[in-house]
Amino acid sequence: MSTVPIEPLLHHSPLRRTSLNGARTFLPSSLNLRCHFTSKKLHSIGRGIASGNSLGFLSSERRRSIAIRASSSDTAVVETTSQSDDVIFNENFPVQRIDKAEGKIYVRLKKVKENDWELSVGCSLPGKWILHWGVSYVGDTGSEWDQPPEDMRPPGSLAIKDYAIETPLEKLSEGDSFHEVTINLNLESSVAALNFVLKDEETGAWYQHKGRDFKVPLLDDVPDDGNLIGSKKGFGALGKLSNIVVKPDEPGADVQEKGKSSSGSTKEGKGLEEFYEEMPISKHVAGDNSVSVTARKCPETSKNIVSIETDLPGDVTVHWGVCKNGNKKWEIPAEPHPEETSLFKNKALRTRLQRKDDGNGLSGLFSLDEELEGLCFVLKLNENTWLNNRGEDFYVPFLTSAALPTPKTNQEVSDSGFTAEIITEIRNLAIDISSHKNQKTNVKEVQENILQEIEKLAAEAYSIFRSTTPAFTPESDLESEDEKPEIKISSGTGSGFEILCQGFNWESHKSGRWYQELQEKADELASLGFTVLWLPPPTESVSPEGYMPKDLYNLNSRYGTIDELKETVKRFHKVGIKVLGDAVLNHRCAHFKNSNGVWNLFGGRLNWDDRAVVADDPHFQGRGNKSSGDNFHAAPNIDHSQDFVRKDIKEWLCWMREEVGYDGWRLDFVRGFWGGYVKDYMDASKPYFAVGEYWDSLSYTYGEMDYNQDAHRQRIVDWINATSGAAGAFDVTTKGILHAALQKCEYWRLSDPKGKPPGVVGWWPSRAVTFIENHDTGSTQGHWRFPGGKEMQGYAYILTHPGTPAVFFDHIYSDYRSEIASLLSLRNRQKLHCRSEVNIVKSERDVYAAIIDEKVAMKIGPGHYEPPSGSQNWSVAVEGRDYKVWETS
Amino acid sequence: MEVSVIGNPQAKICRAELSFRELGFRFGSGESRNKVSFLAHQSSKWKEIRIRCSPRSVKCEAVVSDQAPFLKPTSNSRSLESVKLFVGLPLDTVSDCNNVNHMKAITAGLKALKLLGVEGVELPVFWGVVEREAAGKYDWSGYLAVAEVVKKVGLKLQVSLSFHGSKDPEIGLPDWVTKIGEAEPGMYFTDRYGKQYKDCLSFGVDDVPVLDGKTPLEVYGGFCESFKSAFSDYMGNTITGITLGMGPDGELRYPSHQHETHLSGAGEFQCYDKHMLSALKHYAESTGNPLWGLGGPHDAPAYDQQPHSTPFFSDGGSWESQYGDFFLTWYSSLLTSHADRVLSVASSAFSGSGVSISGKLPLLHQWNKLRSQPSELTAGFYSSNGHDRYEAIAEIFAKNSCRMIIPGMDLSDEHQSPASLSSPEFLLGSIKASCKRQGVVVSGQNSSASVPGGFERIVENLKDESVGIDLFTYQRMGALFFSPEHFHAFTVFVRNMNQVELSSYDQAVEDEAQTVSIGSGAGAHSLQTA
Repeated sequence: MSTVPIEPLLHHSPLRRTSLNGARTFLPSSLNLRCHFTSKKLHSIGRGIASGNSLGFLSSERRRSIAIRASSSDTAVVETTSQSDDVIFNENFPVQRIDKAEGKIYVRLKKVKENDWELSVGCSLPGKWILHWGVSYVGDTGSEWDQPPEDMRPPGSLAIKDYAIETPLEKLSEGDSFHEVTINLNLESSVAALNFVLKDEETGAWYQHKGRDFKVPLLDDVPDDGNLIGSKKGFGALGKLSNIVVKPDEPGADVQEKGKSSSGSTKEGKGLEEFYEEMPISKHVAGDNSVSVTARKCPETSKNIVSIETDLPGDVTVHWGVCKNGNKKWEIPAEPHPEETSLFKNKALRTRLQRKDDGNGLSGLFSLDEELEGLCFVLKLNENTWLNNRGEDFYVPFLTSAALPTPKTNQEVSDSGFTAEIITEIRNLAIDISSHKNQKTNVKEVQENILQEIEKLAAEAYSIFRSTTPAFTPESDLESEDEKPEIKISSGTGSGFEILCQGFNWESHKSGRWYQELQEKADELASLGFTVLWLPPPTESVSPEGYMPKDLYNLNSRYGTIDELKETVKRFHKVGIKVLGDAVLNHRCAHFKNSNGVWNLFGGRLNWDDRAVVADDPHFQGRGNKSSGDNFHAAPNIDHSQDFVRKDIKEWLCWMREEVGYDGWRLDFVRGFWGGYVKDYMDASKPYFAVGEYWDSLSYTYGEMDYNQDAHRQRIVDWINATSGAAGAFDVTTKGILHAALQKCEYWRLSDPKGKPPGVVGWWPSRAVTFIENHDTGSTQGHWRFPGGKEMQGYAYILTHPGTPAVFFDHIYSDYRSEIASLLSLRNRQKLHCRSEVNIVKSERDVYAAIIDEKVAMKIGPGHYEPPSGSQNWSVAVEGRDYKVWETS
Repeated sequence: MEVSVIGNPQAKICRAELSFRELGFRFGSGESRNKVSFLAHQSSKWKEIRIRCSPRSVKCEAVVSDQAPFLKPTSNSRSLESVKLFVGLPLDTVSDCNNVNHMKAITAGLKALKLLGVEGVELPVFWGVVEREAAGKYDWSGYLAVAEVVKKVGLKLQVSLSFHGSKDPEIGLPDWVTKIGEAEPGMYFTDRYGKQYKDCLSFGVDDVPVLDGKTPLEVYGGFCESFKSAFSDYMGNTITGITLGMGPDGELRYPSHQHETHLSGAGEFQCYDKHMLSALKHYAESTGNPLWGLGGPHDAPAYDQQPHSTPFFSDGGSWESQYGDFFLTWYSSLLTSHADRVLSVASSAFSGSGVSISGKLPLLHQWNKLRSQPSELTAGFYSSNGHDRYEAIAEIFAKNSCRMIIPGMDLSDEHQSPASLSSPEFLLGSIKASCKRQGVVVSGQNSSASVPGGFERIVENLKDESVGIDLFTYQRMGALFFSPEHFHAFTVFVRNMNQVELSSYDQAVEDEAQTVSIGSGAGAHSLQTA
């Protein structure tokens, strides 16, 4: 029968020989074949694979890795090894190195004799260069090319249709990368100009001059379309090679200058001048190299010896680590390390490969303890160039057959990703099909394309569906496992589709039974569409509202008892609303006076002394460090830099999560301490959602609010950044700008110079919690009340825009209720979320309009706006005084 | 170095693989087509695979001979080759404003399914979307757009005409119907507390002209006719099957369970709307027991009560009494005649269109280990002889030459909570047995929630020889479906039953090969253009 050439992708055989007992054992293993089928035998190969369990990719692990044990497949192989070591891994990885090569194209016109001239076109880069050229004859108009006369064509030229010639550039000399072609010109012929472009056959790239063909005029009266070279006019703009980087500072530019001077000096016949011009070009050159890795077991030393060899040019550093417990986390192995090894940020080792004795390539030997599971590495060529294995780290597994029970193998194999699996699965189909067809087409490649296509399409569908489906209700265990990757919950954003309700105002403590009152509203709040409820501070407090906490573990407050609190949380959980606790971490009221009569000693379970108080507020004589933020002067500020304080706070937060059932935090006065501590607290308490109150003043000039509030929002963003995005922050900037815009009819303020929302929401929408009022700004305190009567405009803005909107309790139970309810239901219905795209279409004196995610349009202000009638069908969803919201239908 | 040797183990692999097999090869030509046969010798048994080539030799179709099960691990189970696999499109594929939702995602998903070798997709078409505004005013635009995409991708389409509303996504009955319903509350199913089920019209009004002088059945008929003419270009080619909505959630049953949360009970009888009560009264009088016609059973348990908590469903309880037989016979006969009416409307509308017609049954497995099987009784499945509760229904399906869709093929007994006294496998078996006796072709579906071991169970069900299931619809496309974990499991599932897909796949590949040989770099070129 005919032969079957097979070229393995990953080669290893199902046979394995162990040196211990010499017995052959079959191990399940995987095999990816690239086959060119020329015979019907294929059929049986496909079958053989498919019917065995050798293709047992069983897991759904998505990581792709090529960690497949290779083994010696035959005795013969073992014999060829120079040592008696057992080869446990051997792989030759092809690597592609992309170099950006920079060079130049030059064009030289030279006089040989009176009427004999020479045009040389050359290129300094390696490649398969072709000059694609034609001529214009005297009297020709237009830009058409013609074929040059026979005697002009250099040997090796090919005619392309009836208008062009392709002539390859020849190497000037062996070992030189300069390529050149020379065309002899006879000025007595009627050729008026020469046109050409340069083509690189290797990459298929065409190089033109300023977006057009190069044109070398041989007569004076050739019309100049801006692409002439060699003439004075065309000269100034030289160096503009389309396609490619232009670097005017390159040495090439100098050469141009020289060329210019030389061309200026010679002036002869028909006004034709000699010239020499250079233009810089660059191209990406792919270098195909390989890295071969062999791991051997060395029983004498109980070491695994890994040898890495490569033919990559230049210095190559292996950036590596070892893996221990079945995960591919990089760890630093124990010393000794190989020669020329340095430690990199305690995360990896760097070993420079040594030039091999024979001078061909580099190699390095790594001797590692036997019990390690594997070696991970990437290669570093220079500061900016790293090579990995098709997007993954290179991985060399050390597991030996003795240590490897069969199920483990499956596990290992199953590590190959989801994609690899589908591909393999369907590759089998491909094999079947090609065998049926007995065809020599590129079926295999087609199949691989199809597999990749399936994978790509499924991923695309997944990502769109996922983004348009806010939440799933887990219906069974299996499903809930599947859920996990569905929506990324982050404490800074929740699900991304959250809507907050501030569940209290400044008077809520008065009834003494707020928790109970709130509980009764649970169904109502859920049906309005809220997903998160912010409860008042729960701890014992010197002030009835709760913001002057004393004993953090005493959760009986003016709002109700701890049991009522727990019941309330449970009640809201039942209706699907997450609950935030208001955590006052900046300050704490003391229980006792110190010897000077200053209140700075604490009691209760957290009986801290004055070391827990910051040192820079003289009122409280703290012995801690200086505050990491601003001070709140009514109570001792806590020194979060103290380890014991942080430990206690973390414990307390976790206790509140456990005991009360809070899902997350509203963090009071976070200006008072460094955001990095907040990150620490968030990491420890793992909230579902967290938002900090970073409230300071916007900038005003002569009592008028500045248009640019970038400095203000920068401070908030800096704080969020300090928490590493683990918490969002109230968008005070947006509130402030809305104040000015609505109050004074200055809606132009609502677009920043870049056409984005001017608040935090314009910069970091997913972490901005937008609001228009809270217990401090409004309610009975009214420290910074939203312009009266314009609240709905504010809500029309924040409930349609990105960011996570928060609605104030008082507004829900006001005349605005039904309008707010419609906006909430619109937001939920249209699945707007904290990262929705906002496109500001109008921001003028009296009207601001925006389209969000292309499905909701809104305007606020008395001015006129209608969404564009076009492909989209807009219908009014909500409208009220000076605002209107549309949705696509 | 050893690289060179280990790096080239091809020859060895070939030898190893080929050593168990000998292959024969025969080339001959039949009357009209050329025939190539591959003969594989394996463990003393010859298998034959034929490849049929059309004279132009452009399309190849793999035909696997029936006698020799090809690549089947066991020879006694039924081959899955004949099972056509469909995947349900999202319920909200077309929004109630006739917009196509997530068109991009669906298009990508369809291509992926096509490449995977799936036969087609199921498209739920809602009455409340198409005939939303006024009676007889149909807007098919959204669904037509979907059909076009499906056609372009080269998939088949099963259309489910849904005369019910849905809670998630929220799609109600047509606005004009709802409006009539406000004045005529009797047209909705009603339970004994007077609570109406507004997502489906009562069987009691099937033949009552409540809808602007027309009966619901006439309206359904008009809907079917309009569908047929709007989709005439697709009928019989892209559209290969139509499923008629027969009741709540499209299933043939009473809405005895109105809330998911009340699943703990056996459900309640839904016979308290005006029309049903009067029918019951009439029936009672005609059978000489006028007192029995005053209402439904008084001692049936409430939604959230366990079936045993009141006497009706107990062993020897009312359901077994003469009264019980009277009531349940009447209650179930309405269901049966509703099925008959709907299916005959469909078969008169679609006969000769080249599409198959089906209706869907529920799989009411909760409490079915109780003798009374109360969930079935409240949903309307009963038979006086004590068993074969699905016989009458199957007979109706047979009479109208309709296929029966049975869901829950992914459910297995071992995953049911013991407290629910439930055996989905048993119930499935008994429905299938009725179908077999009546000669009804069965199509399968999974339950909409994904369950552990679901795919394995589906494959077992499909292999079941007693009833040859030749069409399976997997529910349903969406984010979860395409999540890497799930999609992977689905891929494996498809592969497990891939033999028939192979041939369709083969053709797709054939087309691909053409484009490639012309020099196109993009392999899946022709599909991408769809």
